[in-house]
This record gives sequence, structure tokens and C-alpha cells, in this order.
Amino acid sequence: MEEQFQEDWLEARLHEESPYIDDGGFTAQLVQKLPPRRAAGGSFRGAILLCVTLLACVVTYLVSGGGRFLVSAVNDLAAMPLWILYVVAIFCGVVVTAVAASVAYFQARAETLG
Amino acid sequence: MPLTDADLVARVLVDDDHHAFAELVRNHQSAIRGLLRQLTRSDLALADDLAQETFLRAYKHIRSFRGEAKFSTWLYRIAYNCFREDARKRKELVGIDETLLEAQEDPQTTDLALKHDLMHALQLLPLHERSAILLCCQNGLSHDEAARVLEIPLGTVKTNVLRGREKLKKTLAAWGAA
Repeated sequence: MEEQFQEDWLEARLHEESPYIDDGGFTAQLVQKLPPRRAAGGSFRGAILLCVTLLACVVTYLVSGGGRFLVSAVNDLAAMPLWILYVVAIFCGVVVTAVAASVAYFQARAETLG
Repeated sequence: MPLTDADLVARVLVDDDHHAFAELVRNHQSAIRGLLRQLTRSDLALADDLAQETFLRAYKHIRSFRGEAKFSTWLYRIAYNCFREDARKRKELVGIDETLLEAQEDPQTTDLALKHDLMHALQLLPLHERSAILLCCQNGLSHDEAARVLEIPLGTVKTNVLRGREKLKKTLAAWGAA
């Protein structure tokens, strides 16, 4: 009985001890520290980037004589010794793995912040 | 009808709406500042600095809030991480609580005026028990939610709450008898 009373009393006191803290300008001060809002024209910026990329692709295609560079690059690759191809493949694999691992690490870190 | 946390978060995500985020801050500032005041042993200035840091981080990383837990739980976790990082910088983490506990349990150093003060008794608890008590008893989080906030196993949270409560009861009973 005494034990239960003590338990109830402690429970009640623990809840009593968290009074509401008045904002007192806390929110206003914080909002001033927030980074500026993203520009409304985010999609417009995306469209510009897309157009510029497409234009660059067309120009490259025309300048390179209708994509002949691709054919010649493939021919060059085919003519290369096999060991060089292995080295290039391993190097590419290492670079891609390193990039993927670092992206995963930073993403996981950002999530665990929350 | 007032907007829910989920609605406000959606507005922040879609429109980067500062007003919506301010509303979220207003809704949760008391709980977060309260928790940090307890964790920092009533250092109001430090607690408010950490609370500001908590909300700024929340704003910065709001895209990582997936809505699996309550927004308040997510905020508690950020707040606890902010506190932990700051404590690490100040080299005041965990271990110091034990020495403080021993030092302050000495009847000669105990402030008689604070004998019946539960807050004082809470501050004598080691950090892991104090955090668990504050989250589960004062802030109403479930053991599971507290485990997520503190990033410790569920069983450990339950043990810490039980041990903390027992210590509180003993301390308060001893003070009451004095």
C-alpha cells in the first residue's frame, strides 16, 4: 500500500515537474537564423539545365562528325591489349564503389542526425 | 482545424514554408527546451543554444524525416544528439555523473533547502538513467520511442527507467526522513 502510494506520488511529481515553457521570442529568433527560402523558380532552373544539356549533346554530335568518335573509340578499345582493358575495368569499378560508399555513408550520417 | 505535424512538415518540404516550420517550433519548443534544461542541469543559456541547434538541424535535415516515428520523437533524438556532441566537446559525458552523484550524496555537501526537490534528485542520477526517466516519465515517450531517441536497446531503456525510479524513490525517501 505504502509502496503503491510512493509510486503514484513519484509519477505525479515527475509529470508536475515539466511546466510549459513560454516561447518568449525563441521561435522568432530561430526563424531569423533559418537559411533563405529556396527560389520559387526551381523547376525553371531545371528546365534551363536540361535545355543546355540537350544543346551541348547536339553540338557535340555535329562537331564530332555524326558520332564517329564513338566508332573510332570502340575500334581503339578493341585493338588494345587485354590486360589494359582489365586495368581500366578494375579502375572504373574501384572509382564507382568508392563514390557509392561515400554517398551511402553521408546519407546514413544525415539520417542518424535525426 | 489546426494543422497536424505531418501537414506542417509537408509544407516545409514542398514550399520550404518558414511559417509552417515556425509553427512546428512553437508546438515543440517547450518540450525540447524542457528536456535540454534537465539534461544540462538547468543551464538555461546552454539549453536554449542547444534547442536552437536542434531546430536548425531539424530544418536542414527535414527530408530525412520519413514519418515512421512521431515528429516529436525525431526532434528528441536530434536534441539528445546535440546534447551528446556538446557534452563530448565539454568532456562531461556519462562518467562525470557518477562522481557528481558520489560527491553530492555526501550529507555535508547536500543543500538542505533542496532536499525535497525532485529536480535536484533527478540531477543526481547518472546521465543514462536521467535521460531515460526524462523521456519516459516526463515527456511521455514509450520505452520503444525512448530506445530510438537514445539509440540503445529497448531492454536497456526499461532497466534504466526502473533503476532510475528506484534511486529517485530512495533519495527522496532518505531526504524525507532527514
